[in-house]
Amino acid sequence: MAESAVGRQTALLAMEDVAVHFGGVKAVDGITLEMYEGNIYGVIGPNGSGKSTLLGAMTRLTPSTRGRFLLDGKDYTRVPARNVHRMGISRTFQTVRLLDDRSVRDNILLGLDALPKQTRKETAMQVDEVMERVGVREVAQLRPDELSYGMQRRVEFARAIIGRPRLLLLDEPTAGMNTAERKEIGKLMRQLCDEGITQFIVEHDVEMMVETCDYLFAMNVGKLIAEGEPQDVVRHPAVQEAYLGKGAAADA
Amino acid sequence: MSDWYAMNVVLIQTTLTTLLLALSIQVPIRFGVFSFAGVGAFGIGGYTAAIAMVHLGWTTWPSVALGAVLAGVVVFALGLVVQRLTGLYMGMATIAFTLIVSVVAVNGGELTGGPGGLFGALGEIDTGHILAVVVVVVAVLVWTEAKGMGRRVDTVREDPELATAMGIDVARYRLASFAISGVIGGLAGAITTLLRSTITPAEVNFHMVVLALTAIIVGGARSWLGAFIGAVIFVWLPTVISFVQEWEKVVYGFLVAVAAIYLPNGVLGLIKDLVHRLRTRQERARMAVLQEKG
Repeated sequence: MAESAVGRQTALLAMEDVAVHFGGVKAVDGITLEMYEGNIYGVIGPNGSGKSTLLGAMTRLTPSTRGRFLLDGKDYTRVPARNVHRMGISRTFQTVRLLDDRSVRDNILLGLDALPKQTRKETAMQVDEVMERVGVREVAQLRPDELSYGMQRRVEFARAIIGRPRLLLLDEPTAGMNTAERKEIGKLMRQLCDEGITQFIVEHDVEMMVETCDYLFAMNVGKLIAEGEPQDVVRHPAVQEAYLGKGAAADA
Repeated sequence: MSDWYAMNVVLIQTTLTTLLLALSIQVPIRFGVFSFAGVGAFGIGGYTAAIAMVHLGWTTWPSVALGAVLAGVVVFALGLVVQRLTGLYMGMATIAFTLIVSVVAVNGGELTGGPGGLFGALGEIDTGHILAVVVVVVAVLVWTEAKGMGRRVDTVREDPELATAMGIDVARYRLASFAISGVIGGLAGAITTLLRSTITPAEVNFHMVVLALTAIIVGGARSWLGAFIGAVIFVWLPTVISFVQEWEKVVYGFLVAVAAIYLPNGVLGLIKDLVHRLRTRQERARMAVLQEKG
């Protein structure tokens, strides 16, 4: 199933007719999409369009009402959420969620806890390397509440990538960061992508998404309204209308 | 030294048994479970050990072991039933469990001695024995607080959803905390009972929950050391402040209020914060420079 036109490879992640309903609210309503290895995917859409819910459903933390999830063509719809991390899907959250009583280093190590055991030396090297990459090595022994918001987000990022996931889901990774920090994180995402970590980003900043992503999805009220090359997606009439209201597409 | 020991042997033993009771309440709280079943476990352990000695003629340590194991099994089974409850509801359900244990003791007829309790269960226990039990219990708890395990336990408490996302089986950790709490509470009950030769239903009650809880609040809820500090404070306080006489309860209440308001992590939390600040002075200076640049 799920084969791309060019490579005939199996999609890394595929969703088939996925819906997430909360009571009468259809947060995600019938989404089908595929993501292939080695790309950065992004999803844009106005507030409340279901982007974060979609991300939550991919990790199985948010239970889905219907539909199927496949990783490498294997159905993982019924796999408990706690096993998804081990399958190679890692995530960050919309708000910073770190342990305030633990050091930066300890917080990052949490990303390795459920993965196969390594030697102490390997782990130490890995955590040093990842702290260097995201730029928190200097503050390794501090606690998150002693850091700026931007630094806290970097720690979350480090926690998500230390286990070298196959698919990295990022929920507004650069929220609260200044322009220079955003650029840095954007660069890091590209590097990680070149190293084979496929990424799926939920973000408000359309400009940054166009710059960073290889492929964009656009959502509105729980449904996909467009997908394709980032430049094309942002110019799509349905997307313009969703962001700017009725009539905007005609004016543009 | 030995004079001092001889004069204070009861207080020393009470400190150790209070520490065990406080730990049985602290463990689930550290795992994010608001459970007071530890006091019920205290009752099960105490009554079981006393019944084994009085009615079955067992010797001291097999009776203690039976009490601890039975308390562990019962509290674990309770955990299976109430594990989906959270916060206040969990607290209510587990206090109800504790009160049920006391009601069973009252209505247990000859087996439990009814409202008057069970007498004549004097075990051969000295301070060294209790200390040995405490050392074993603390060793297990130190392991649950150490590096990797401590980090996972903290995550299960602070943010269960994050824990799940990081691949941690939250339900398993929580159930384990019920079992550990039951065994420790059972040990506390069995040892206390066989030390005094008696147990009554009045001991398995709400005031025991309050005693254990205040010890943890004042000492610190995050580590066994906090429970130890709390146990020392509350067992020795009456002797130290005996000059205030009938104002003792007021001083007691004042201390608890001050700790709850100004020391959210107890005396131990205060000490840890100070150590952390001293140790990371340089890093914080570097962080300030980084922030100025950014």
